[in-house]
Amino acid sequence: MPISPQLPKSKETPNTDVIVSGFEQLGYIIDQALAVTIYLAMKLGKPVLLEGHTGLGKTEVAKVLARFLSARLIRLQCYEGLDVNSAVYEWNYQKQLLAIKIQEGTNKTVEEKEKHIFGRDFLLERPLLQSISAEDASPILLVDEVDRADEAFDAFLLELLSDFQISIPEMGTIKARHIPYVVLTSNRSRELSDALKRRCLYHWIDYPSFEKEMKIVRTKLPGIEEQLSAQLVHFVEAVRQLKLTKPPGVAETLDWAQALMALGQDRLDVDVVEATLGCLSKSVEDTSTIKTEGVEKILENFVIG
Amino acid sequence: MSKTIPTRLTQSILEFCRFARTNGLSTGVKETIDSLDAVQTIGIASRETLKFAFRAILCSSKEEWELFDDLFEAFWKKTEFGPHLTHKQSKPETSAPESKTAMMLRGQPDGARPGEDGGQAVWGASAHERLRKTDFSQIQQNDLPALEEISLRLLKQMSLRLSRRLKTMKSRTQVDLRRTIRRNISRGGDPIELHYKEKKLQQSHLVILLDISGSMNPYSLFLVRFAYALQKHFKRVDTFLFSTQLAEITGALKTQRLSNALQALSLQAAGWSGGTKIGESLRDLGLLRGKRLLTRNTLLIVLSDGWDTGEPEILATELAIIKRRVRKLIWLNPLLGMEDYQPITRGMSAALPHIDVFAPAHNLESLLQLEKHLKYI
Repeated sequence: MPISPQLPKSKETPNTDVIVSGFEQLGYIIDQALAVTIYLAMKLGKPVLLEGHTGLGKTEVAKVLARFLSARLIRLQCYEGLDVNSAVYEWNYQKQLLAIKIQEGTNKTVEEKEKHIFGRDFLLERPLLQSISAEDASPILLVDEVDRADEAFDAFLLELLSDFQISIPEMGTIKARHIPYVVLTSNRSRELSDALKRRCLYHWIDYPSFEKEMKIVRTKLPGIEEQLSAQLVHFVEAVRQLKLTKPPGVAETLDWAQALMALGQDRLDVDVVEATLGCLSKSVEDTSTIKTEGVEKILENFVIG
Repeated sequence: MSKTIPTRLTQSILEFCRFARTNGLSTGVKETIDSLDAVQTIGIASRETLKFAFRAILCSSKEEWELFDDLFEAFWKKTEFGPHLTHKQSKPETSAPESKTAMMLRGQPDGARPGEDGGQAVWGASAHERLRKTDFSQIQQNDLPALEEISLRLLKQMSLRLSRRLKTMKSRTQVDLRRTIRRNISRGGDPIELHYKEKKLQQSHLVILLDISGSMNPYSLFLVRFAYALQKHFKRVDTFLFSTQLAEITGALKTQRLSNALQALSLQAAGWSGGTKIGESLRDLGLLRGKRLLTRNTLLIVLSDGWDTGEPEILATELAIIKRRVRKLIWLNPLLGMEDYQPITRGMSAALPHIDVFAPAHNLESLLQLEKHLKYI
């Protein structure tokens, strides 16, 4: 599992070749371009923005990076309406109320009581605050699907990424001891604010080539029959050319491959494909688009016999 | 692993960044500095690695990403240029441009300071920007799909943004725990004084009237997309076409596929004769559907250039009546996009006193500007 012993701790940045081989050993097929982006991000201290359609392994990159660097992964899943309380911190109200009650009988002044209940013990650290509070080493901060949050959040994030400090009115400013490595992912459902995009190194993750997708399938599912893997990747590629509302990503390819293996298939045929279309197509319209195109017709192009 | 870059290479990198900016990438001072840093750390051994590095630094969207390869090859190989590139590229000069870039890096007022966000999207005339600003009547056939895609996406986002400021009215409001505790510390924590989360008001009803006579046609067709995208935000969107008569197309817009709706509309509109009777159409609107449509919560948008073949008095009267009934009256006139336009036609000048918002609607940019008028109703 761990990579070559010569990999040092977070002080020195591994070069791109080490990154590529390291990631592959951890089961993630990464191309040279992405390795360069990651390398630069670490060297220049910039966050990385990974944009691309769903199911192409954007989130995976952060997870594998964390394992590669033996660093802690802190994940913030963004959604519409994400606010400071869920992203940065929140006070533990119940505990505070209890503490106030307990302090009732004592002779402390109001100021002293206030200081007590706004201490670190009563602070619930959410991901963004956690990412700058790390004691021993730089963690990986994954801000997943940042396009689902709103522009106000973009602005807040930008500020955080510039200063790596957070101000809590009752407590003061908390500065990062170890600057986290930051990975942002986006499905492009919204245009991120310009300033945020340009703060980051950008990388567009596209659908993989045939060879790459084959490699991914063979890596994740070592027992798979060669003929089956080739056929199913061809099929998925063909399906992506159709105008679907949700084209299948690599995650769907892998799901499908697993399903076919579980059914004991060693090759594709019309029946099994039609039966398992649900792995690739995630809506009624898409399924009917594929069927209208004709499963048989697609298979003809690369299945012999 | 830091190497000093030979000066010639530094110059070339500065030129390349400038070249990228001319060709549509939003490259600023910061990106240029980052590029130099990157070259220092990576070294210049591998051309491919350099290309990947520059790409990650200089691009910030999928579109720029896809352009990049050609840009890189064009500059560093000096071969012929791909179809995306403009003809006015900056050749690697060694005199004036160089010092200008050097000036920028030193922080002369060129709009940016080093280390600060220097590049502006307005420097690069990328296709995206160009399409946003192109007048609807001037769109080239082959640009149409791209504009479609961009407008649908941006309008949907606008709609989503408007929804977030959405105001819903509920009879019970929620306690704001945070504020309550804060304010009650001196009372021993007993929540004596409760603070509530603010709840907001009702959303509204949008009625759009589109003039589809002759010259207005391309504009109206785009505004249909506008109406389509806004359906998510407004409780109701009712859309009408008018020239000599009024026709409702609300139903058509409720279909799943916008393309079908548009096709149906084009066919419908083609059969109408010339001339516009705005006043009469408004009167019909009031008569037919006024009770449901023209209420206190209604926002009425009229798209027309004001060329009225009917009586201007009728137009003035009808507008006055409508104005009293609806919340806000927005008049969109594509001619406002032209520099010297003055609303002196009989129709337009009769209408002006009754209008709350008089705005242009000649390109995507102007449509997106409408957001601020739709926000607070």
